[in-house]
Amino acid sequence: MLQIRDIHVHYGRSHILQGLSLSAAPGEVIGIFGRNGVGKTTLLKTIAGWLQPTSGTITIDGTAIHHLSSHRIARLGIGFVPEDRRIFPHLTVQENLTLGFLQVPGRSRAQSRMALDEVYAKFPRLKERRSQPGMTLSGGEQQMLAMARVMIGDARLLLIDEPSEGLAPIIVAELYAIIRTMKENGRTVLLVEQNITNALAVSDRFVAIERGQIVHAGTAASESDKQQLMEAIAI
Amino acid sequence: MLDYLQFVLTPQIVTGLALGVAVILVALGLTIIFGLLDVINMSHGEFYALGAFIALALGQVGLPFWALLFAVPILMLPIGYLVERGLIQRVFHSKDRHITTLLLTFGFALVLEDALRLVFGPNPYKPETPIRGAVEVLGTYLPLYRLFMVAIGGLVIVGTALIVYRTRLGAMVRAAAFDRNMAASLGVPVERVYAGAFAFGVALAGLAGVLLAPIYSVFPTMGRDFILLAFTVIIVGGMGSIGGAVIAGLFLTQVQAISSLYISPVWADPIVFGIMVIMLVVRPQGLRGGLGHA
Repeated sequence: MLQIRDIHVHYGRSHILQGLSLSAAPGEVIGIFGRNGVGKTTLLKTIAGWLQPTSGTITIDGTAIHHLSSHRIARLGIGFVPEDRRIFPHLTVQENLTLGFLQVPGRSRAQSRMALDEVYAKFPRLKERRSQPGMTLSGGEQQMLAMARVMIGDARLLLIDEPSEGLAPIIVAELYAIIRTMKENGRTVLLVEQNITNALAVSDRFVAIERGQIVHAGTAASESDKQQLMEAIAI
Repeated sequence: MLDYLQFVLTPQIVTGLALGVAVILVALGLTIIFGLLDVINMSHGEFYALGAFIALALGQVGLPFWALLFAVPILMLPIGYLVERGLIQRVFHSKDRHITTLLLTFGFALVLEDALRLVFGPNPYKPETPIRGAVEVLGTYLPLYRLFMVAIGGLVIVGTALIVYRTRLGAMVRAAAFDRNMAASLGVPVERVYAGAFAFGVALAGLAGVLLAPIYSVFPTMGRDFILLAFTVIIVGGMGSIGGAVIAGLFLTQVQAISSLYISPVWADPIVFGIMVIMLVVRPQGLRGGLGHA
C-alpha cells in the first residue's frame, strides 16, 4: 500500500532523512522508534506533504505522492495526527471534526451526517462538547478530537505521532483501544511512539531509526527482534 | 440646543456612519487578506479605485446603479483571484515573504493607478447620486443616499461575518489562517482558499468604490487617501480581526466626524492617526485577535 524508496529530506543544511525506505501493507500497524531528533516526525511530515523530499519516491497504491500538496495527499486517504495534536483552538469541536469531511470528496450530506454520528457514538465526550471551542478541551480530549478528525475523514493510512505524550494512563489505554479498532477495520497505521511497550502491543512490525536511516526492523511478535530493538536504540 | 442636535450633530454623525461603513468594507478585505495570507496588500486602495472606475464605465454604457452593486463585485472576483494566483502565490513561499509581497503589491498598485490614468485620464469624474433627497426622522433631515449606504454596507458586513463564523467555508478559512499545514492535511485546499479570500477582499473594496463614487469624485489616485484610513482601522482593530475592523471603523470615523465639528476639519486626520500611534505603543496587537485566533 505505502512504498517509500530511498528518501532524503533536508532542513536547511541539516540532512535529516538519509536514504530511508519503508513499505506497509493494508491493515498493518508499524511502530517507528528511535531517540529524539533521528527523523521519525520528519518521516511522517514528509509522507503528509508538509516537507518535500530532496530525492526518493513515496507512493500510495502505485500513485506517487511525494510531489503533491498536503490537501491532495489528504484526499487520497492519508490522515495525520501530529505530535502536538494541532487542533484548531478557536473552532468548535464540531467545526474541527467537520473539516475532516473534506478528505472524502463526493460524500453526500446524509453520508457525512452518518459519519459524524458514528464518531460521536465512539466519542460521547466530544458530542457533549461539540459547541465548545477546541481550546476548552483537556489534553486527552484534544487527542481524542485529533483522532476522531482523521476517522471522520475515513483515512486508509494513518500517521500518528506520539499519541500518548503527556496523557494520563487511563486516556492512553483508551487511545490504544481506538488504534486497535482502526487496525481491525483494515487501516494501515504508522505509529511513532516513545512508549515502546504500548506501541509494540498494537504493532505488527517495527523499525528503529538512527541518523535518518532504518537501523533495525523486526516483527512485534518476535522476542529476539524486540531484544535487538532495545539494543539498537540503546534504551 | 435641540436645533443644534437636529441640524448639525445628527447629520454629521450619519455622514460619519456612512463613511465608516464604506471604510469597514475596504478594511474587511484588507484584514481578511492579512489574517489569512499574512500579506499586507498595498494595492487594496487601487482595487477600491478600480471598482469605482468599473462602476463609472458600466454606468456610462447604461447599467443602472442597482445592477452595479452586484456587477462590480462580481467582476472584481476573477481579477482578485488571478492577481493572487498569478502574482502573490509565486512569491508566497519565498524567505522574505512580508517584504516581497509588500513590494509586489505596492508595485502592482502603481501599475493599476497608472493604467487607470491612461484609460480614464487624470481628471475627476462626478457620477450622479442615484438616490436624491432626504428623509425626516424626528425633525432631523438625513440624506437618503447615506442611509442607503449604511444599510447596504451593514448587510454586507453582517453577511461577511456570518460566512466567516457560521459556515463550513468560514471554518476552512479560519482553520487555514490558524494552521495552514494542519488545515491542508484535513483536505482544505489552502491555495484556493487563499485566492478565494483575496478575491473576496478585492470584491469588497470594489463595492466600497461603487458606493462612494457618487459622494466623492472618481479619480486614479482616489485609493491613496482612503487606504490610509483603512490601514488605520485594521491596526487599531487588530490586524486580521473582522470584529476589530468593525469597531475601529465605526469609532474612528465618528472621531473624524465629531472632531471636524468641535475642533477643526484640519485636525480630524491628525487625531485619527494619533489614535493609531497611541494604539501601536499601548496595545500593538490592536483591539481584537486575528482571523483564526478569535
